[in-house]
Amino acid sequence: MTDQLDEALAREYEAGFVSDVESRTFDPGLDESVIQRISAMKEEPQWMLDWRLKAFAIWKKMPEPDWAHIHYDKIDFESISYYSAPKSMDERPKSLDEVDPELLRTYEKLGIPLIEQQQLAGIAVDVVFDSVSVVTTFREQLKEQGVIFCPISDAIKEHPELVKKYLGSVVSQKDNFFAALNCAVFTDGSFVYIPKGTRCPMELSTYFRINELNTGQFERTLIIADEGSHVSYLEGCTAPQRDENQLHAAVVELVCLDNAEIKYSTVQNWYPGDENGKGGIYNFVTKRGICHDSAKISWTQVETGSAVTWKYPSCILKGDNSIGEFYSVALTRGAQQADTGTKMIHLGKNTRSTIISKGISAGKSNNSYRGLVHMGKGSSGARNFTQCDSLLIGDKCGAHTFPYVESRNPTAIVEHEATTSKVSDDQMFLCRQRGLDPEKAVSMIVNGFCKEVFKELPMEFAVEAGKLLEISLEGSVG
Amino acid sequence: MSNWLAQAITEAEQVNDWLSPKRESSLALLKKSPWPNRQTEAWKYTPINVIERTKFEPANDTFHHTSDIPNLNAIDLVFFNGIFDAQASTSALPAGLSISALADGASQTWALESFNKIKPKRHFFGLINDALATQGCIIDVACGAVIEQPIRIAQGFSSGSQSHTRVLMRLGESAKAVVVEQLQGDALCLNTSFAEYQIADKAHLEHYRLAMQSGEAISIGGCHFHLGEASQLESNLIGFGSQLSRVDMDIIHSGEHSNAKLNVIYLLDGKELFDLHSAIEHTKPNGVSEQNVRCIVADRANAIFNGRIHIHRDAQKILAQMNNRNLLLSENAQINTKPELEIYADDVRCAHGATIAQIDEEAMFYLQSRGISRVDAQVLLSFGFINELVDLMNNSAIADWLRPILRQRFANMEIQ
Amino acid sequence: MLKINDLHASIADNDIIKGLTLSVKAGEVHAIMGPNGAGKSTFGYALTGRDNYEITQGSATLDGQDLLDLEVEERAAAGLFLAFQYPVEIPGVSNMEFLKVSVDAQRSGRNLAALSSSDFLKRAKSACKQVNLPLSFLKRGVNEGFSGGEKKRNEIMQMILLEPKLSILDESDSGLDIDALKVVADGINSQRDGKRSYIVITHYQRLLDYIKPDFVHVLADGKIVKSGGPELALELESEGYSWLESYDRNAQEENV
Repeated sequence: MTDQLDEALAREYEAGFVSDVESRTFDPGLDESVIQRISAMKEEPQWMLDWRLKAFAIWKKMPEPDWAHIHYDKIDFESISYYSAPKSMDERPKSLDEVDPELLRTYEKLGIPLIEQQQLAGIAVDVVFDSVSVVTTFREQLKEQGVIFCPISDAIKEHPELVKKYLGSVVSQKDNFFAALNCAVFTDGSFVYIPKGTRCPMELSTYFRINELNTGQFERTLIIADEGSHVSYLEGCTAPQRDENQLHAAVVELVCLDNAEIKYSTVQNWYPGDENGKGGIYNFVTKRGICHDSAKISWTQVETGSAVTWKYPSCILKGDNSIGEFYSVALTRGAQQADTGTKMIHLGKNTRSTIISKGISAGKSNNSYRGLVHMGKGSSGARNFTQCDSLLIGDKCGAHTFPYVESRNPTAIVEHEATTSKVSDDQMFLCRQRGLDPEKAVSMIVNGFCKEVFKELPMEFAVEAGKLLEISLEGSVG
Repeated sequence: MSNWLAQAITEAEQVNDWLSPKRESSLALLKKSPWPNRQTEAWKYTPINVIERTKFEPANDTFHHTSDIPNLNAIDLVFFNGIFDAQASTSALPAGLSISALADGASQTWALESFNKIKPKRHFFGLINDALATQGCIIDVACGAVIEQPIRIAQGFSSGSQSHTRVLMRLGESAKAVVVEQLQGDALCLNTSFAEYQIADKAHLEHYRLAMQSGEAISIGGCHFHLGEASQLESNLIGFGSQLSRVDMDIIHSGEHSNAKLNVIYLLDGKELFDLHSAIEHTKPNGVSEQNVRCIVADRANAIFNGRIHIHRDAQKILAQMNNRNLLLSENAQINTKPELEIYADDVRCAHGATIAQIDEEAMFYLQSRGISRVDAQVLLSFGFINELVDLMNNSAIADWLRPILRQRFANMEIQ
Repeated sequence: MLKINDLHASIADNDIIKGLTLSVKAGEVHAIMGPNGAGKSTFGYALTGRDNYEITQGSATLDGQDLLDLEVEERAAAGLFLAFQYPVEIPGVSNMEFLKVSVDAQRSGRNLAALSSSDFLKRAKSACKQVNLPLSFLKRGVNEGFSGGEKKRNEIMQMILLEPKLSILDESDSGLDIDALKVVADGINSQRDGKRSYIVITHYQRLLDYIKPDFVHVLADGKIVKSGGPELALELESEGYSWLESYDRNAQEENV
């Protein structure tokens, strides 16, 4: 069965096409002048450039982390281009009519129509193509409610007070190697501000696309939910199918003030490389949010892509009674490697966190959950519940769990459970006896395995995630 | 490089005995290894700079003897500050059992072969022990022999001493034995004590490590087991914390249908620290392993547990379980636990669970409603929490000896 | 002996007991019956002092001693015993040890000399026999792996050993077959000596066939809505609790 499994697992990557767009791309290499040029392209104020250069100085002194359960060829940071944008974006298009039709076609092919009338009602999109934001829809309508939703490069110019105050407040310049790099060279990403007491009237989303060869994507997202506000944010990503590895090193910062709530969902479908591990995205991402009193951050992620994933969306539960959640499905196959999980740092009283992680490994892949639950001295009455389940499909893959649990407070309660299993013969027999073919049966069992996470996704994403898994598992049973 | 390490290396270079050929590679590795610090994953929560700070000056005080375990009726191997005391040890041995001091082991070719074969190279202080342990014992149990009397390796330590001991044991096919490693003493001293157990096919080892050094002691050691086909291991570790107490346990399933149980209790008070790193390696199919680790931490103590289950490629049909439960009783105490799974075979059933909590309030109310004070109820329940594992011990002499000691220790604990 | 006056109790700010008044004299057996959710178990927990069961109003004394000021264990030493509806399992703590510590604590609370180990053992064995529990149960963990019936018998065994003045039996009959029920009832009846008193909380009349109550009270919505002799239990058995609804309605109308 295993041989057939491997063979069958080589599936089509539907988002693997290349768009024929003429781009302005920096020569590969990284030094201060590159950072100055990025800053100049973005017409940034001096303080922003200074901030970047400081980060660059820190990064140069940092060692690349090697603790994750992943193996990859050393990244040559000199061979990456740090900026690429379609030439048509030299002059920012004022409306969709001015956007290069090839770009519009790209997103149409990806199933994300940019014409507002064609879009699903209630979803505003910021689309980022390589290093620039192409368009942000419904920006004006949102503004009427006081909601700011724009590319971060616009926010730096238009809302410097907010950016200055919060940028780097959750993930600092010296946080880690990849975050420091991002601080130095980030190009675009989304900025969101939800005013006090406002419930954001639509779902906000950003769609990231890497197109150009040999470029890295370094986007930065900053979401600020002011007191008592609420926002749901979705993120999607794809890249062309190429033989070369490409680096994606993003930073997402969430600031959740008193009584606010941020729901952040990701469907990550970067090109995973071929079944032998050739090509694919190296995805080194730092995502973290801070919760003030009674605030809530909920991370939901469905990770099916990337050759290497290194990603730990985390919550700092600083405020009393704040809540952190992490729901994750990570599916690896072929030669993919994922090392992903979360950190829940409980600092405030009566803080609560829930971690549900579902890892599915197939092919020759390795899938690791890595997490930290920290109960600080002040976390009286805090609670954590963690459940990590791994499902193995085939006997060439690996499933691993590395949970760190630290407690400094006697009234805090931590519960951690982890299990590993396979799709059992009994389950398969039952499904097939009831008339399902083996593929359908596996897909159904896997979907059931992931149900607790899928139900946390916004409706449209849940459907997409389910489909993605189905495609990923296509032919996984011989 | 640390001064202490430099001195240890200098000393090791002087060692010249029958094990020297085996010591060389460890010494070479040691010279290349950086002194562990908080960035070293295996020592993340356990600072060892105390070794640097401390001046070890042997005092002329009387030796600390280990306490007697009534009714154990053991074959005693007695060590004081790492030096074998033949007089205090049992000389008459039952048929099928042969024991020699490590220093006299030159004739035992199997011992030379198996030295350092089971203990993984990754243990930093294991390398030090490889290079410096000239004292210890070699225990050989013949195939099919059933040794009813427990073999007790009793080590006492006095103030200022530094010692390095090694146990090598071979349990022949279908043989059966009980080994009790007892370490005791609260004086400021440093010892490394490592043991390697070769358990042949169908053999059965019942093992106790009573790691009961406390106070200022610096105690670092390990027990490493190699399990043959259909062999069985029941290991029990009792840990008292001290200034620095560290035990590494490796249970390597090298034959099919091997079965290992590891039950661990630690009870920490004051500023004590106890660090257990356990690794269960399933390299062959059809193995079973079960680990229960229970820990109570009071005052300013620090309990560290890193438990790893590693299922190798094609080691199918494994049943592996690890359960880690902790009671944190004080605001200044801490618990750091990391139950890991690393799995490369699909047809296995593995589970681990870890909890950190206080005493169950419902049980507390039940006891109080019977007239028991809150403090007494806490003692009773905490004791019950660990006594569950004591009850599972096969050797009732050890269990009976331990209970009042554990109870006393618990009653003296600093609870907020 | 026990005097409860206008007792109010709440859990997490929800009022459950809303003005309960009850007086139990030495030697009496009182049955408290009522529908689910009437507050029967809450009454037992509140009186014995369980955490989170807050007394918001009223008084309760046992032989003149104010119970509400006392800690849980002090109430027990004063002579109050609760037989749990769901006895708690405590693995690792043997039944014997648990009983010995309880008896010692209570005797010292009552200024009685501690029992010698052999005296205690004698009593424990005899109590075990009385409720038909094998002696091996003394060595097992408290309630650990006991069947439902064994747990209930273990409760009665504790009651026999601890010799309380007033015992509250919380649904000690639930989940028992007739034989087990008889064992439990016999255990209780053997302790009826004209001095000890009992409050028997039950949903069904069945237990009262075996333990004859002197008084029967009906608890509904946190209050005793009706009291009478043993005949009231039979009445409830035949009519069920539905009449309480109309009773409530009448009461409300009267209030208007």
